[in-house]
Amino acid sequence: MKVIRRTILDKAFTAITALPVVLLVAALLVILTPMLWRGAGAVLFEGTVEWRKMQLAEFGHGDEAGIRAEADQAQAARAAVYEMIDKFKSGVDAEQLTDRAKEIYRGFGKELQRKDVPREQYTMLRSLSREIRDKLETAFSSSDIGQMRELTNDVLQYETDDRFKGTIAREFFPLARKYQEAAATVNLNKRSEYARDLAELEQIIRDIFGPRPMEESPALAQFRYGATRWDQAQDLLFRLLWKEEWVEKQPGQPLVKIAASRKEQFAETELKGMFDLVENNLGRMLNPKWTFYWRYFTDDSTPGHYFGGIGPEILGTLILTILSMAFVVPLGLISAAYLTERTHEGPVIRIIRMCINTLAGVPSIVFGLFGMAFFVLFFLPLFGAPSKPCILAGSLTLAVLTLPVMIRSSEEAIRTVPQTYKEASLALGASKFRTFVTVTLPVALPGILTGVILSLSRVAGETAPILFTAGIAVGPVPKSLLQTTRTLSYGSWDMAVADKLAALVPHNQYGMVVTLVLLILCLNALAIVIRSRVLKRLKGH
Amino acid sequence: MLSSTGRALKDSDGKPGSIQGSKEERVSGSIMATRSTEKHHSSVIKAEHFSFYYGSKMGVKDITMEIYARTVTAIIGPSGCGKSTFLRSINRINDLIPNTRVEGRMLVNGQDVYDKRVHLVNLRQQVGMVFQKPNPFPKSVFDNTAYGPRLQGINRRGDLQRIVEESLRAAALWDEVKDDLKKSALALSGGQQQRLCIARALATKPNVLLMDEPCSALDPIATGKIEDLIDALRNDYTIVIVTHNMQQAARVSERTAFFCLGELIEYDSTVKIFRNPGKKQTEDYVTGRFG
Repeated sequence: MKVIRRTILDKAFTAITALPVVLLVAALLVILTPMLWRGAGAVLFEGTVEWRKMQLAEFGHGDEAGIRAEADQAQAARAAVYEMIDKFKSGVDAEQLTDRAKEIYRGFGKELQRKDVPREQYTMLRSLSREIRDKLETAFSSSDIGQMRELTNDVLQYETDDRFKGTIAREFFPLARKYQEAAATVNLNKRSEYARDLAELEQIIRDIFGPRPMEESPALAQFRYGATRWDQAQDLLFRLLWKEEWVEKQPGQPLVKIAASRKEQFAETELKGMFDLVENNLGRMLNPKWTFYWRYFTDDSTPGHYFGGIGPEILGTLILTILSMAFVVPLGLISAAYLTERTHEGPVIRIIRMCINTLAGVPSIVFGLFGMAFFVLFFLPLFGAPSKPCILAGSLTLAVLTLPVMIRSSEEAIRTVPQTYKEASLALGASKFRTFVTVTLPVALPGILTGVILSLSRVAGETAPILFTAGIAVGPVPKSLLQTTRTLSYGSWDMAVADKLAALVPHNQYGMVVTLVLLILCLNALAIVIRSRVLKRLKGH
Repeated sequence: MLSSTGRALKDSDGKPGSIQGSKEERVSGSIMATRSTEKHHSSVIKAEHFSFYYGSKMGVKDITMEIYARTVTAIIGPSGCGKSTFLRSINRINDLIPNTRVEGRMLVNGQDVYDKRVHLVNLRQQVGMVFQKPNPFPKSVFDNTAYGPRLQGINRRGDLQRIVEESLRAAALWDEVKDDLKKSALALSGGQQQRLCIARALATKPNVLLMDEPCSALDPIATGKIEDLIDALRNDYTIVIVTHNMQQAARVSERTAFFCLGELIEYDSTVKIFRNPGKKQTEDYVTGRFG
C-alpha cells in the first residue's frame, strides 16, 4: 500500500475513534448545561421580601428586625395599589355592597332592640331602614345611571336625620355616596364583566403580594406569602398586565391565542392607573435581592416542595447509599475470594457464575418487588421488626441489586494480582487466608475500588428498588433505620409525575435532579481520588 | 519433629571471607571451585523414586537423589527438563497448580512432605524459596522482611527490628537500605529486590534455601553480587539452585544434578560433572553440543 494512502487511513482511523468521544462530550454538554443552569436557579436567585418573610416564619432563618422593617416598607409601597382596588371595587361589586347594606340593616335592628325603643318607633324605624336598604339594593344592581342616582339621592336625604345619629345606620350614607362617586366613573353595563376580571386581578395581586395585612393567614403555607422569587414575580406581572384571549383573527380559521392588554380593558375606569403603578414600582413593593440559598441543601420543605429545600432527600439518599455499600462490599469481596481461590471449575462453580450473570441483568423494578416480598414481608419479621418498608429493607435490596457488579469487578481485580505474590507469600509459610488478606487484597484494592465506584453511582440514583421498600414522597425525616425516607431519586420521580404543585416550582424539580447528579459526581470523584492514592502507594511512591 | 536448627547468624558482611580458597581460585581464572566435596553430611532432602505429573503430562519421573546439608547443589539441564518442577515439589509450591499427581516420596528433614499429616506452614518456614523474577510485596522493605517472622507470631517491635537487620545483613543488603527501611520495596533496583527476597526468605530461619533461577532476570553485576551472597551463605544453609547458566553452576555449587526430559541423568560433585562426566548425555550438554 502506498505510504500516502496508509497515512490517510491512519488519520481517518484516529478521527473515527475520536468521534464517539466528541459525540459523548457534546451530548453531555447538551443535557447537562440546561439542567445545571435551571438547577442553579434553585440556589441562586433574586429573592423578594416575601421570600425572606417566608424563611423567617417557616424555617426560622433570618434577621427578624431587619425583615420586619423591610416588610413594612414594602407594605407602604403597596398601599396605593390596594386603595385603588378597593375604591374601584366599591363601585363595581354590587353583591358585596348589597350584603353590606343588609348587614347594616340587621345591625340597626339589633341596636334598636337593645335600646328598648317604644314599639311604634321601633316599627317605623325598622320599615324606614328596610326601605333604605331596598333602595340601595336596587341602586347597586341597576345599570341605569339615572335611576341609580335618583335612588341614592333619595337615601342620602336621610343623612342628616337625627334618628340615625350614633347608630350603625349611619353607615348607609357613606356607602351610598361612595357608590355614587365610583359609579360615575364606571360603565355600568360592563359591570359584570368588570366584576369577573376584578376577581381575576385580585387573585393575581394576592399571588404577587400575598394576603392583605388584615386578612387571616391561610392554612396552606404556599398561600401565606406573595411571589418569593423575582422571576416568579415577573411572570405574575405579565399575567397582570396581559390577558390571554382566544380570538378569531381570520374568519373561518381556528381561534388564535393573543395577549390582550388589561390596561386597555380598564381604560375607562380609575383602575387603569394601577397597572402603571405596579409595573413601575414592583421593585420597591417586593425588594428583590440576589440570594445564595445554600440552606437549600439542609432545609426541609413545605408540603409539595413549594418552599424550602431538599435536605431530607439528600440525607435519605446518602444513608441508603452508604448502608447498602456497607452490605455489598464485604459480601462481594468474600464471594469474589471464594470464586478466585477455587482452582477447579466444577459444575457447582459454573452454576454459581451463571446465577451471578443472570442477576446482573434483572430489571431494577423486579428487585424492588423482590425486596418488598423478601425483606419487608419475610425477613424483617424474623427479627421482630414490623413488616413495613424501611431504610434497612431498602438498602438490603439495593445491595442485592449491585452485588453482581461488585463480585465481577472484585474478581477481575483479584485475578490481576500476579501469581508470584501469592507464591512468595505461601512459600514463606502463610496460610491461604493470610495471603489473601495481607497480600492479594491490598494489591487488588484499586480494582475493587473501581467496583465500589460503579456500584455507588448505580445505587445512589436507583428509584425502582426503593419504590416499595424504603422510599416515600412525603414524610418526616427518619430517626431510625426502621423508618422510610425521602430520597432524591424518588423525589424527582414524584415531582415529575404525582405531585400537582410541582409545575409551580420548576426550579425545585431541576434543583433536585441536579443535586442528585452532582452528588453522584462528588461521590465518584471522592472514590477516584482514594483509588489513585492507593494506586500511587502501591507503585512505591 | 520438624524443628529449625537454631543458629546464630554470623556477623556476615557479605564477603565470602570464610571461603578464601574459592575466591582465589576465581581470581586466578579457573572456573572451578576447589572446595572439599567429600563432606559427609546428613541428607536434608531425599527424593525416592519421586515422580510428578501435570494431569497426564510428565513433569519429572523416578527421581532418586539426596541433597546434603550445608552444601550448594545446582540443578542444570535444558529447558523443560523438569528442574523447576522438581525444585517446587520440595516445598509443595506446585500445589497451586490444579490437577497434579505425585508418586514416590520426597523427604525433607526426615519427613515425607506429601504425607497427609504434614503441616504445610511449618514445612514452608523451614524451606525458603527465591523465585526467578524478584517479587517483593508492594510494601516497605521492613514489612517485606518482617513478613515471615510476623507469620511465626513474632510481633514485638524490638524483636522484629533485630530479625530484619540480621536478615538484611545476611543478604548483603543492609548497608544499602538501612537509612530508610520504610521505603517501598518496589523502588529498589532489580538486584536489590532479589536480595530483599533472599533476606525475606532468610528471616524465617529456614535450613534449606531453594533458588529457582534467581539471577536470570538480573544484570551481570547484580548476578555477581547474588553469587557472592550464595558463597557467604553456604556454610549455614542447604542451598539448591536451579540454573540455566552452566558457568554459574560451576562457579557456585559443590554438587550438580543434570536433568533431561524429566529424568535425572547424572548427579555428582560439580568437579566431576564438568571435568569428567560419566554419561555421554551429560558430556554433550556441558560441552554445549545441545542445549
